[in-house]
Amino acid sequence: MEPPNLYPVKLYVYDLSKGLARRLSPIMLGKQLEGIWHTSIVVHKDEFYFGSGGISSCPPGGTLLGPPDSVVDVGSTEVTEELFQEYLSSLGESLFRREAYNIFENNCNTFTNEVAQFLTGRKIPSYITDLPSEILSTPFGQALRPFLDPIQIQPHGGSPVGRPNGQS
Amino acid sequence: MPHVISRTPRMAQSGHPSGMPADKNISPSVTRVIVKTAGKQEDFMIADDTSVRQFKEKLSTHFKCQMDQLVLVFMGRLLKDHDTLSQRGILDGHTIHLVIKSKRSSRFLAHSSRNLPTKEPCHRVRNTEENTNGVYQPAGVSHTPVESALLVEPDAPKVHSQDREVSGPEYVAQMLQNPSIQQLLSNTDLVRQFISEHPDMQQLMQQNPEVSYILDNSDILWQTLELARNLAMIQEIMQIQQPEQILEHPLNPQSHPGLETLPGGDNALGQSYVDCNDQMLNSSQDPFGGYPFPALLEGQVLQELQSSPPSPTPPQEPQDQLPQLPTARVSYTSSHGLSSITSASVTPNKVNHTPSTHTTTISTKAPSPTCPIQQPARVPALPSIELTQQPQTEDIDATISLDSSDQKLEDDLQPSDEQTKSQITGSMMQLLLNNPYLAAQMMLFISMPQLSEQYRQQLPTFLQQTQLSDMLIALANPKASQAILQIEQGLQLLATEAPVLLPWVAPYLWGLGWLPAPSCSHPDTVPWAWDVPDIAEPKGPECCHKSGTGLQRLQSLAGDPSHLLQAPEIRFSQQMESLQAMGFGNHHANLQALIATEGDTSAAICKLKRSQGF
Repeated sequence: MEPPNLYPVKLYVYDLSKGLARRLSPIMLGKQLEGIWHTSIVVHKDEFYFGSGGISSCPPGGTLLGPPDSVVDVGSTEVTEELFQEYLSSLGESLFRREAYNIFENNCNTFTNEVAQFLTGRKIPSYITDLPSEILSTPFGQALRPFLDPIQIQPHGGSPVGRPNGQS
Repeated sequence: MPHVISRTPRMAQSGHPSGMPADKNISPSVTRVIVKTAGKQEDFMIADDTSVRQFKEKLSTHFKCQMDQLVLVFMGRLLKDHDTLSQRGILDGHTIHLVIKSKRSSRFLAHSSRNLPTKEPCHRVRNTEENTNGVYQPAGVSHTPVESALLVEPDAPKVHSQDREVSGPEYVAQMLQNPSIQQLLSNTDLVRQFISEHPDMQQLMQQNPEVSYILDNSDILWQTLELARNLAMIQEIMQIQQPEQILEHPLNPQSHPGLETLPGGDNALGQSYVDCNDQMLNSSQDPFGGYPFPALLEGQVLQELQSSPPSPTPPQEPQDQLPQLPTARVSYTSSHGLSSITSASVTPNKVNHTPSTHTTTISTKAPSPTCPIQQPARVPALPSIELTQQPQTEDIDATISLDSSDQKLEDDLQPSDEQTKSQITGSMMQLLLNNPYLAAQMMLFISMPQLSEQYRQQLPTFLQQTQLSDMLIALANPKASQAILQIEQGLQLLATEAPVLLPWVAPYLWGLGWLPAPSCSHPDTVPWAWDVPDIAEPKGPECCHKSGTGLQRLQSLAGDPSHLLQAPEIRFSQQMESLQAMGFGNHHANLQALIATEGDTSAAICKLKRSQGF
């Protein structure tokens, strides 16, 4: 039996605030946040992320955000590209439809976490997934919540990962 | 059973429960696994020695599909039929991922791969479309066969999953080099036709008639295409305003700010190439329409500044620099979009079109770093007013252009307003970067619509008995009063150690709802309200005292000028009464002591005792 191919899975982490969060969070929130994290999964030489436009893909580092601020090695997977596309399609129809985007509850990091677990069984670092609760646990965050909630984030540069055609 | 070399270590079999903690498996032979698929998950109870094939059989009946559609993934490894679950290390409570392949997937993939070469030109053109469309419609545009009019093939089915293979930058570049494509794109009529036939664009045009003006102006189209092609230009623009191009305005077809600013903003586009100092213009030139977050903030700020009554502070401050300070206008169409986000009660039209005397301007001069130290009192007050007081007029280009646009205000030229807005955005961003405390202010003002409305309504009733009794009850909680004491102590420490930092803290307190924003009409009521329970509250009167006076002090520092302007007698009348009640009969001495201690009753008492020789 031939050994199955192992594909590396990486997590690209971007700081959306470009350093502002690190400087301003102690004043505004009362606690230190290192950044406002946006993440994406890179596998099969493509970057996949979730935004207000649904699940999108692009060449690694190909969004307007530029190169990632840090890269985390998630592990490796046997999941083939074809299977992964199927999986993404099913996610894109269920949990990660474009209208299902919510900046606190169901955001890019939620998506990345799901995908990382699917691909490797591991979750993404907790400092990323804890970010919404960190912010909402401050009075300032609570006060801002109604204004932040409708915000939709969609890094540009990718194309949507859609459903395979021809289904009925 | 064929022996399989498994990469995962063999776990204890069901016959060796001693290897596992007793509470892990209720019955050693049955395992509960979680199966996750397509956004939902279910539990399954299976025997430890179940093979993957048997498990698949079970799943296929459960999910009503065929076995060959099922793919099981555990820890990133595909599960083969001949494995057993225990061999792969699947224990109780573990999650197995399931992908149900669509029946036609294999057929589809074969079909699409065949069609791929012929569809490439269609993809490439589509991608150009997407790039240019990106200018007008930044929200993810799905590929549509708009360009099918171009292609020979009558039907161009959407091939999404294959797109990423052909939509890479190299393909786009290749395609752009193709002279026929270039010729095509050079024909602005054709491009315009493409764009206007795009169903999303049509929808947008229905809601935003301005968009059709864009399309009619071939100059803009050409410039935009040039821009999309010129990656270096894009890079430069992006680098300049990296912090801004992050968040996108929610897709609200009714008010797309990028588009609204585009007509005027595009005129500025030409200028920005000439005037490289004018970085601010670029902020609205985002070719992909990404909506800068600070503009969100700023628009909100302006909304609020619009709605809040003119603060009493301006009379105090030198107004020579800008004679039209109270009347300068800011109209910011993006706030229209903001109102749809925030559902604030302020109507956007007010901000857009009213050159009323109540609007304030933000002149985006970067304040000198010494400014917060010099004027700590005024900083927390409406920052717009403070900013306009900066005397420097020569330093920043934005200032100059803004001044010129100020003059244009009477003319009420829409394009110049757009320019102003873009300058404002850009220089606001500079400001925020240079002065984090200002950013804190900005963030505060986001919460202002709610707070200021609330407070304005509440404050007249704030002193009513019901309110007071609530506060009294709250204060009765010893932990609450302790917390207040700690905050007060912290504030006092801060005041002694680093008074310059006090304004930084003030917005935080406002955010907590402690202090009303200074723009409110009754700035004094909160400290007075704090003082009232001082007298009535039996428990922990000291800490209540302190908190009240500390807040008073903070508020005075926070630039509440009416507070400062009041005669000490009026300010301290409450404390005077309490001192009288305590038996300090010398009215004059009491007043002096209170003035010296800034209204701190207990400190005044100490002072009085010392002076009166107790």
